[in-house]
Amino acid sequence: MNALTKFSLLVQGRFGRKRLRRIGLGSIPFIFLLTLWQMNTTFEWLAPVFIPSIGGVIDAIFILQSDCGGVWDILSLDNTCLMTTHILSSIGRVLLAAVIGIPLGIIFGILAGMNRLISTVLEPVGVFANSISGIAWVPLAIVWFGVGWMTTLFIMLNTVFWLMFFNAMLGTRGIAKVYEQSVLTLGGSRWNIFIQVYLPGAMPSIITGMRMSLGFGWRALIAAEMIGGDSGLGFMIFTAAEEFNVEQVFLGVIVISIIYLATDHYLLGPLEKWTIHRWGLTWKPT
Amino acid sequence: MTAKLVVQGLSHHYPDEYTGVSVHALDDINLEVNDGEFVAIVGPSGCGKTTLLNILAGLLRYREGNATVDGKKIDGPGPDRGVVFQEHAILPWRTVAGNIGHGLELQKIPRQERQDRVAEYIELVGLVGFEDRYPHELSGGMKQRCAVARTLCADPEIMLMDEPFAAVDAQTRITLQEELIRIAIATKKTILFITHAVDEAAFLGDRCFVFSRRPGRLRETVHINIPRAERNWGDIAANPEFVRARDRILALVREEVIADDR
Ligand SMILES: Nc1ncnc2c1ncn2[C@@H]1O[C@H](COP(=O)(O)OP(=O)(O)O)[C@@H](O)[C@H]1O
Ligand SMILES: [Mg+2]
Repeated sequence: MNALTKFSLLVQGRFGRKRLRRIGLGSIPFIFLLTLWQMNTTFEWLAPVFIPSIGGVIDAIFILQSDCGGVWDILSLDNTCLMTTHILSSIGRVLLAAVIGIPLGIIFGILAGMNRLISTVLEPVGVFANSISGIAWVPLAIVWFGVGWMTTLFIMLNTVFWLMFFNAMLGTRGIAKVYEQSVLTLGGSRWNIFIQVYLPGAMPSIITGMRMSLGFGWRALIAAEMIGGDSGLGFMIFTAAEEFNVEQVFLGVIVISIIYLATDHYLLGPLEKWTIHRWGLTWKPT
Repeated sequence: MTAKLVVQGLSHHYPDEYTGVSVHALDDINLEVNDGEFVAIVGPSGCGKTTLLNILAGLLRYREGNATVDGKKIDGPGPDRGVVFQEHAILPWRTVAGNIGHGLELQKIPRQERQDRVAEYIELVGLVGFEDRYPHELSGGMKQRCAVARTLCADPEIMLMDEPFAAVDAQTRITLQEELIRIAIATKKTILFITHAVDEAAFLGDRCFVFSRRPGRLRETVHINIPRAERNWGDIAANPEFVRARDRILALVREEVIADDR
């Protein structure tokens, strides 16, 4: 056994064959894109003002962070640490909208799923709100709240809350009646049924709703920051574009996708595994 | 013996939202079930068996007639009546132990006592070693055992069972039927057991109510005088009382089916 085989086996043992295979296959398109990107720079197909070099984009990080004085400056959102300030500001807004919008959407969605009256009242306004997609609210929101975090929060809540609402409602309606009946006959109250039947029973839809609302909410945020924000990655991209600073535009776009990928992988993935996979509520590829 | 469960002049109509024509599911049912008795109900499918059970469980409101437990009118579900449903009704998001202890949890029984009782019933239905499994990891027969244990563990006075063994294979069904007899001996509970299988009714019941086609009426009551201790599939097939009861139930059911064909 040569050293390379040994190393390969070690890596496989450490991470698991299946997982490595998945990561490997999933990386192919990215590697392809990166290669194409590097080739563009090498062979000078398109000028750097349109597509910057990989090195240029990495340099942009250091330029944005040039005067940054360390961890404390990063955390206090100091203007010398521009990139991290924009990242943290965007993440903070997503978190705020998620922390408010997701639980509220779940609660009202489940209530509408269990109760005809509530759904009759809320469904039409929900359809109305969903038809005006996030970004279309921006001009009005700016008039109402001015440029800043209230505007972006409003836009995102509009997206997050209603997506959660509809998913939780449909999920609740899809739960077999017999679960509710069985808990009732065991002596359960309405509250018990809410927590022990509807919430877990609607979990597949709730997780889909979280995927959708984080995805669409994140996009709405970037758009809102471009027009109605005073900081954040959307704002950063927009101002960079106005100065024809393509490196920073590229950097912003890449950072956005990395953050979203990480959320999906480290937050939604484990939640899915911990709930619906464990309960056998999903179709599992074999 | 005192009547535990009394049903008088009970009828039920389901309204139909679309056609406006109501479905007449039950017609003037009169019956009594004694304390500690095991009663089987047999009838063709669609004759209103589940409807009757849902009314007795308090899950379905009724307007025509009366149904009482210990003289009290049934008005909503209650811990005195436990139900084993026709479909698998154990919660997929609870483990076997979590499902079986669910009733005790809702009754706010302290954790230690709950765990002891759960362990006892897991033993009783032969699910030892599967306490921490989720329902999707169990076979159909095991799921139904879990459902039976869940209802038993909540310690109701009356068990209402709706074709609980209809969906399991023949081998498992025989085992479950014998287990149920064992449980009936051990717990002395009043049991109302719905089925469409004639053999099952004659094997399990002290009495068997045979229902007509829809709208369900009580056609005849067949008595099956066999001590519980003698009810096992090894001996019972040769028991003349079993043969008589089964043939009588079968004849009644066939009349209903023939009437249906005409
Ligand atoms: N929720 C309902 N709404 C309307 N009709 C129903 C409903 N439930 C049952 N029925 C009808 O009532 C009759 C009796 O049903 P059911 O009690 O389920 O019969 P069984 O359990 O004996 O097979 C059937 O004809 C069925 O179609
Ligand atoms: Mg039925």
